[in-house]
Amino acid sequence: MAGRDKLKILIVDDSEMNRSILADMLGDEYDILEAEDGVQAVGILSRKSSELALVLLDIVMPRLDGFGVLAAMNQNGWITDVPVIMVSAESGSKQVERAYELGVTDFIMRPFDALIVRRRVVNTILLYAKQKRLIGMVEDQIYEKEHQSTLMIDILSHVVEFRNGESGLHILHVRTLTDLLLGFLTAKTDKYQLSPGEISMISTASALHDIGKIAIDDAILNKPGKLTNEEFAVMKTHTTVGAEMLADAVPDYISQEELARMRESAAAGEKPSAARQGTGGELVWKAYEICRWHHERWDGRGYPDGLRGDQIPIAAQVVALADVYDALTSTRVYKPPFSHETAVEMILDGQCGAFNPLLLECLRDNSEQIRTALQGDVAEELRQRNLRTISDEALRGEGGAVSQRTLRLLDYERMKYHFFAAMSEEVQFEYTAASDMVTLSSYGSKLLGLEEIFMDPKNNRGLIKLMGEEGIETVVGKARSTSPDKPDSTTELVLHLPEEDRWFRVITRTVWSGDTPPKYMGLLGKAIDIHNEKLKLHELEKKASLDPLTGLLNRASAREQIEDRMLIRPEGHFALAEIDIDNFKSINDRLGHIFGDRVLQELAARMKHSVRSSDICCRAGGEEFFIFLDYNTEIERTVERIHRSLCFELEGQKVTVSMGVALGTDVGLSYEALYRGADLALYRAKNTGKNKFCFFNQAMLEKGEII
Amino acid sequence: MTLRECYDALEGSYDEVVSRLRSERLIQKFVLKFLDDGSFALLEASMASGSREEAFRAAHTIKGMCQNLSFTRLGNTADEVTEALRNSWPDNAGELMEKIRRDYELTAGAIRRFREEQGL
Repeated sequence: MAGRDKLKILIVDDSEMNRSILADMLGDEYDILEAEDGVQAVGILSRKSSELALVLLDIVMPRLDGFGVLAAMNQNGWITDVPVIMVSAESGSKQVERAYELGVTDFIMRPFDALIVRRRVVNTILLYAKQKRLIGMVEDQIYEKEHQSTLMIDILSHVVEFRNGESGLHILHVRTLTDLLLGFLTAKTDKYQLSPGEISMISTASALHDIGKIAIDDAILNKPGKLTNEEFAVMKTHTTVGAEMLADAVPDYISQEELARMRESAAAGEKPSAARQGTGGELVWKAYEICRWHHERWDGRGYPDGLRGDQIPIAAQVVALADVYDALTSTRVYKPPFSHETAVEMILDGQCGAFNPLLLECLRDNSEQIRTALQGDVAEELRQRNLRTISDEALRGEGGAVSQRTLRLLDYERMKYHFFAAMSEEVQFEYTAASDMVTLSSYGSKLLGLEEIFMDPKNNRGLIKLMGEEGIETVVGKARSTSPDKPDSTTELVLHLPEEDRWFRVITRTVWSGDTPPKYMGLLGKAIDIHNEKLKLHELEKKASLDPLTGLLNRASAREQIEDRMLIRPEGHFALAEIDIDNFKSINDRLGHIFGDRVLQELAARMKHSVRSSDICCRAGGEEFFIFLDYNTEIERTVERIHRSLCFELEGQKVTVSMGVALGTDVGLSYEALYRGADLALYRAKNTGKNKFCFFNQAMLEKGEII
Repeated sequence: MTLRECYDALEGSYDEVVSRLRSERLIQKFVLKFLDDGSFALLEASMASGSREEAFRAAHTIKGMCQNLSFTRLGNTADEVTEALRNSWPDNAGELMEKIRRDYELTAGAIRRFREEQGL
């Protein structure tokens, strides 16, 4: 592609001048499309909505006004992809409100100010472009995350946040702090033997520490004041509930027996068995530990199990500390945030629970590093937060996620296909080889008297009755002998419809797979009624065989028919009479060609009248005609009668003819022989005074009367 | 006659239009274009035939153009006609038509003189 394509802007305004002012203001940076009313605008949108960067829309217009266009844009979902700036002299606040409700991004009031127009247009386009890019980014993220298993964790933990009404950063802070503390801890002691992989796993699992809270009644969970004893008892259950949820939700990862065993070994201060390490089960197990025991205390006074000291898994110990720290430094409904220093002091002071002294040392020794690390996190976290909000929308199917749009488009295509298939008076069909199944359009099914869907077409009685086994064989055979490059084939055949037999043209496109060699997957096709077309063709063929002036057969087609006739009935008595108008040249010269043509037409009409319809009348060229007769007896009287009827008077002009007749019995059953014989006889008639008829006899040949 | 004098003659605001459109070339182009616009003819026709909605749209279009070009006098009258036609057929339709016709002639006349004198 050469250069960058200009962004397209659609200007919709019934005043040409207004359109042109706007177009001029926007200048050459954009590709401007114009519509002079709402109907035109909807037309352009339906064809190009995906290409448009912006619509500038007037309100008051004939046919369909601006609100009508907005309604159509909403109905078709274009409004989510194409921003609209409303242009108007209307400043009524109801109008403005209604426009915003219908998804308008901005307003430009008349009179236009060039700078404002340009600025608004640029801003709106940028805003939309950014959103579109973000949606793209989020989709990539989601895709990426589906392939890591952290998506589930993110969603679940986010659900908890949502329910808790806590700061969205809480989960992230806990995760970061857990990671930091574990790092410091392993640097300080090798007592816990944590690998970097395990640390990362514990940090990830930390996000689920409060997942049990989703089972806690809202009224308790988000109660602003102090909890009663009963309420606190309920609140405490979030540890055990969360742990059971994990154990139940992922039975593939961890069996109940293993869980029980792990619980025992954890209580005995053992690490989980090596067999569990490095599998998904370990992550779930870590999350389980954290959920269940992140409210245990080093001094054994925590809940739910009252574990003490290193009975509490290290993962839960660290998350408990991180959780408390973040709670102190965040705003809660019941308190303002404490500073980092105060929070650390309160924890070290034992005001907020009892912790592993080693961990407290880690906190104290690395206080400054922790402070900066968490602060540095914020910008990054905010970005992620932003992303997450959008991804949430995407997951809920809101916010115009592209996947939704694609689905909608597919849906639309499907609907369109069905609509047109139903509306078009066409027989459309589809054959799927894998299922050996035929699907017919509903019109097709009605017309052909077949089911809309049927199996095993080659043995389907209805189809065989319709096309004949041979017909099916022909169509399928042609379709299968196509190639992926040229997949189409055409067959013309008669279909035996319930009412009548009609000619159809069956066009198929074979569906070949992408394999090498390509496999026959089935075919798509339609059958077109070409019966009338065929009839017309016959008509045309007939026309081509006729002499245009007189409507008689021309020589070539007459000869064909004569030969056919003699071939079919070689025992018949045939005669060929050649007819020539006497002095036709002189009639033409004296009275003109138009009169001459009328003489020819009159003669032709008389010829047809004087013979049976099964006889063949022909204009062989110029003023020369012939008649092919199938006679029984008394050919002479027949010829005499014909001759008499072919002599007539037209507008005072006397017209006579000369005729030469050859009989099959005399010359043999060949067109050539009959014609030559008739010609000789005609020659005789002409030479012996005209206005008469002569029969061929052998003497003519002997006398050498050959032209 | 300069463009500013033309604006004075049709009782518009040249300073205002310059501050918005920022290009004398463009202003001149659109001022001349005003003569080709069919909205006034449409207004006359639809007023004569009593077709209110069409008349309303035509008056509305004239108003919009006048606002864009800062044709203050005609714009005000067009606004008055637009509002009078917005919801029902006005009793003083004839009077209104006469008024807007007079202002339209004033405006169009000034532009035509400007065009002739500029030899455009």
